[in-house]
Amino acid sequence: MRQLERNARGKRPNFYETPGMDDAMAMIMVLANELSVVRDRLDTVEKVAAAKGIMLDAEIEAFEPDQSVLEAREARRQDFLARLFYLARKQAAELATEDSAERYKAALDDIAVN
Amino acid sequence: MDMLNTFQQHQHAALPRANHDERARQEFTKSLKQFVQQGLLPGLGPVFQNRAAKAFEKVHGRAPADRWDIRKAMVPDLYFQHYAATNRIAQEILWESVIGSIERQLPDLDAAVQSLAAASTGTVESSTDFAVPRYVSAIDIHCMPGGYAREADGDDIVAGALYDRGVYLYAMGYMGPNNDDMGRSVCNYVNRKLDGFKPTRILDMGCTVGHSTVPYKELFPGADVTGIDVGGPCVRYAHARAKALGHDVNFLQRNAEDTEFEPESFDLIVSHILLHETSGQAMPRVFRECHKLLKPGGYMIHADLPPFDLMDPFTQFILDNETYYNNEPFWGAMRDKDQIRMAADAGFPADSIRFDTAPMAIMEFAAADTSYTEDAAEALADREFTAGEYAPGGGWEVLIARKAA
Repeated sequence: MRQLERNARGKRPNFYETPGMDDAMAMIMVLANELSVVRDRLDTVEKVAAAKGIMLDAEIEAFEPDQSVLEAREARRQDFLARLFYLARKQAAELATEDSAERYKAALDDIAVN
Repeated sequence: MDMLNTFQQHQHAALPRANHDERARQEFTKSLKQFVQQGLLPGLGPVFQNRAAKAFEKVHGRAPADRWDIRKAMVPDLYFQHYAATNRIAQEILWESVIGSIERQLPDLDAAVQSLAAASTGTVESSTDFAVPRYVSAIDIHCMPGGYAREADGDDIVAGALYDRGVYLYAMGYMGPNNDDMGRSVCNYVNRKLDGFKPTRILDMGCTVGHSTVPYKELFPGADVTGIDVGGPCVRYAHARAKALGHDVNFLQRNAEDTEFEPESFDLIVSHILLHETSGQAMPRVFRECHKLLKPGGYMIHADLPPFDLMDPFTQFILDNETYYNNEPFWGAMRDKDQIRMAADAGFPADSIRFDTAPMAIMEFAAADTSYTEDAAEALADREFTAGEYAPGGGWEVLIARKAA
């Protein structure tokens, strides 16, 4: 398959003063784009099913999750949130264990010679 | 004015066919642009008046006076940064969403274009040896990766396919299901405003994919219509695209500064958003070339950007963002040119040169295409001019001049 050019020639300006913010914003927008794609796809699934006589939209509204579904969903949401906040988790763990840049540097020096 | 923009492009036989998710991805970029225009752009006024201008005054001891001052005031403001960054990202992911789709289906697209080209009686001419002017090759205009003219080989049509779909999303469908509102609007202008003038040999300069060219064939069916462009992939794609829409049109890879046509070859020469993608030296050459190529009594009509001198500094600032953030190197400088003077210097009689407005043909689409609802088309046509929105409401600015009879 021919690989097409993906980059436009011409220096890209930065818009934010904080380093990395432009990259983060671009990634957020790409994620928003994909979320929008998934919403559209789900909507298509409902419309296609409706055309075959299955009213997914109404069925979805009428759906009552039983206990096992509730548990599975809550577990998935908590897992998702934990991954979303993995840096906060890491920072808290460093503080709890008194891990630090100094300890890291000391480990490097120590391991280099011992 | 908040309108629900559901405009959809007409799927002609040369246009890349997006699958479900590609289409959704592309739709999102169009929605994002619409949101930036309706949801973020209006905030720039109050942000400037009530925050950025005051901050500027504190530092400089005076109010911002011109568009450069306003720029200095706005660039550090976080609201402006979000606006400008989001606008830029929308442009980048727009092209990205189309490129992936084209890449997936390129062999099919190549085959479709070849079969359409073979069926057309229009001439197509391009060469990989063609000298592409620097103002097109130096940076990729409006951030389209690869630009108009870079090509893999003498059959490459990617830039054309990318532009055809990408510019539809860029314009958010405001140019109609076939991206042809500008051409249509100028055709209507010729038909309604030029005292029965009926062109027989028409040249469209900088035609890209011929989206503005085809309406001339449609509205002046007896005329010989030729589009020229410096992009080889563009003219090859344009030739096939015209056939997909049922028209045999000539498309040649030529430079508008020096077209190599015989003098007095045409009675109507037009261009659509070409001039702002040329350069300070090229623009007067294009005007001189138009004068040379026109028959006595023939018309030159360039539809492009209105000059800055008629706008307030804040409007100028908003418009000039394209220069800095969207790879449009000549966008701002072109608006400072004295186009009337330039046309006079090219040989056009002073009393024949003027700016005018060619009303948008958008209402015609409402009758022809279901996604162009009457309400949305009306809302588009009735807009006041708002800097930063795509296209003025009401009409396109045209520079018109007539060669002495």
